[in-house]
Amino acid sequence: MNHSHPELAEQFVKDAERTTWHDETLWFVRQKRDRSIYAIPEFQELRELASQIKNHTLSRLHTYLTQFEEAARANGVQVHWAANAEEHNAIVLNILRKHGAERIVKSKSMLTEECHLNPYLLQHGIQVVDTDLGERIIQFRNEPPSHVVLPAIHLKKEDVGETFHLHLGTLKGEKDPQTLTEAARLHLRTKFVSGQVAISGVNFAVAETGSVVVCTNEGNADLGVTLAKVHIACMGIEKLIPRLTDLGVFTRLLARSATGQPVTTYTSHYTKPGPGKEMHIVIVDNGRTKQLGRPDFRASLKCIRCGACMNTCPVYRRSGGHSYDFTIPGPIGAILSPNIDMHKHKSLPFASTLCGSCTDVCPVKIDIHTQLYKWRQVIGENNELPASKKWSMKLLSRVLSSPGVYGWGGKVARESLRLLPHGFTHAKALNPWAKAREMPAPPKQSFREWYEQQNSNGKA
Amino acid sequence: MSTSRESILAAVRANQPEEVPLPTVPIYSGEASLERFTEVLRSIGGEVVQVAGPEHLESALLQLFPATYQCASTLVKATVAVDTQTPTDILEAVDLAVLQGEIGVAENGAIWLPEQNMLNRALPFITQHLVLVLDQRNLVATMHEAYAQLPSAGGYGVFVAGPSKTADIEQSLVIGAHGARSLVVLVY
Ligand code: SF4
Repeated sequence: MNHSHPELAEQFVKDAERTTWHDETLWFVRQKRDRSIYAIPEFQELRELASQIKNHTLSRLHTYLTQFEEAARANGVQVHWAANAEEHNAIVLNILRKHGAERIVKSKSMLTEECHLNPYLLQHGIQVVDTDLGERIIQFRNEPPSHVVLPAIHLKKEDVGETFHLHLGTLKGEKDPQTLTEAARLHLRTKFVSGQVAISGVNFAVAETGSVVVCTNEGNADLGVTLAKVHIACMGIEKLIPRLTDLGVFTRLLARSATGQPVTTYTSHYTKPGPGKEMHIVIVDNGRTKQLGRPDFRASLKCIRCGACMNTCPVYRRSGGHSYDFTIPGPIGAILSPNIDMHKHKSLPFASTLCGSCTDVCPVKIDIHTQLYKWRQVIGENNELPASKKWSMKLLSRVLSSPGVYGWGGKVARESLRLLPHGFTHAKALNPWAKAREMPAPPKQSFREWYEQQNSNGKA
Repeated sequence: MSTSRESILAAVRANQPEEVPLPTVPIYSGEASLERFTEVLRSIGGEVVQVAGPEHLESALLQLFPATYQCASTLVKATVAVDTQTPTDILEAVDLAVLQGEIGVAENGAIWLPEQNMLNRALPFITQHLVLVLDQRNLVATMHEAYAQLPSAGGYGVFVAGPSKTADIEQSLVIGAHGARSLVVLVY
């Protein structure tokens, strides 16, 4: 049940062609992001502003939460608070029961994923339809999303064709994205019009006005929410921003960082329930206040879930989102997950090269790679190091603290690499690093030996 | 009434860091031309058509959409009457909605559409085709300028930038996911 990232990644990389394709697809998205941000001269200033706005909001989160609640209540919205996933799910179910709802439509929300809302509602006899195309595809397949913005990015069009053939009766072998999307459109429209309650996530919650802002390209959230009698918006406490005008900063950053679009197709501002309708907001903690109390990791709460760090991460791109076994995969997920369960997710902060690319692209300037590095220390101190890291790290720290041993070790290594048979140096059990790589040819001399030689030559 | 409310707020208060200031956000400007707006909107799948004035909307629409279309609008002659109470099955049959847009953003092709211009909140999404009418004097350069002009978010309001689209199947762009299959902006 509890699989480490290397174990799960191994499954994914078995299909070399798919790994390469996955890598290239995400790199393509990363390149679109680059082109899109160059179109804005003040992009770097906006990142700094976004970061400062979020820092400020976190430092006064108590005030903003109360201000938001008050404003929302004044707008006729019912506000609920959930300490954890169970409470969140119970609140949602309670609202559904009150309305006798049996069918609901849901638009993409990583929070409801995090709370495992779907299986919970299903258990209680409620039919949940995910309406974002990518989400619907993986819902049919009974899989979790593998990316925060592109939930079905791990699937090829043939996979989607097969899934739709099974569930929507499209022709066998049909793989044209246009045709498949049209089939989903027709299918989902029947769900939208019969959905009694619509659940949506929240991209931004504006303290000043009590509004929740939802950004989508497909319009599924809007169609669901505006047709249903009841709208339930579920948000983590960290979604707050102080003012309506702050959206000027965040709407310019979000889509450009995510997919390279200038803005999402729909940026909807829900402030008051529609005429004759009901609106609920569920504010969820579920570990977030704990993270807020960890100075080294609280910056992760600034995340606006653009996915840019995933698209750029060389490890995520090649190992796939499912190998993280956590709702939010990739670099930011590797920071958020040990906060929830350090033991279960101890391998995730190591699923990174610490190259810093994630930090470079993050629109709210989260120091992602530094936090990953810090988690590694915490995990080490808590004796949770994955076995393969443990002895090698210990050995390394001894060797590095003793120059004599270091020099001798290097010599032995250079000699042995030359002399030992390939089958030994590349034995999987002994050297996992060499699984998919060749070892470099060992140099005859170390730098230190060369330097000493140069010096003595010079003197002579 | 809720103990979780109290416990969450208490935990937030105990764990939030020392206060850091809220920055002032400059109202970044830029090019607010119709050319820029048109170019960006086209690049995201929308279309811009210039009309000489509001009185020419009908004839422009007739050229774009055949008269058989079920049309809902406050600006031109409608064939379907829509208000906030219109039942879903009637909304579902709307082919074309022609609505007044308030602000156009040149940088990203987005148009602000407040609730009072929508007839029904679901209309801009459930219609097969959406036409937004925009006075070019209401073009601004950036989102900062747009938000600066909004008195509030209203009860409901949406920035619409292009037709509904998805790239969820192998990153291939498909126009017309759930919402309107096309977006035409009639600018005068
Ligand atoms: S950590 Fe930064 S880059 Fe990654 S999803 Fe969050 S906001 Fe985007």
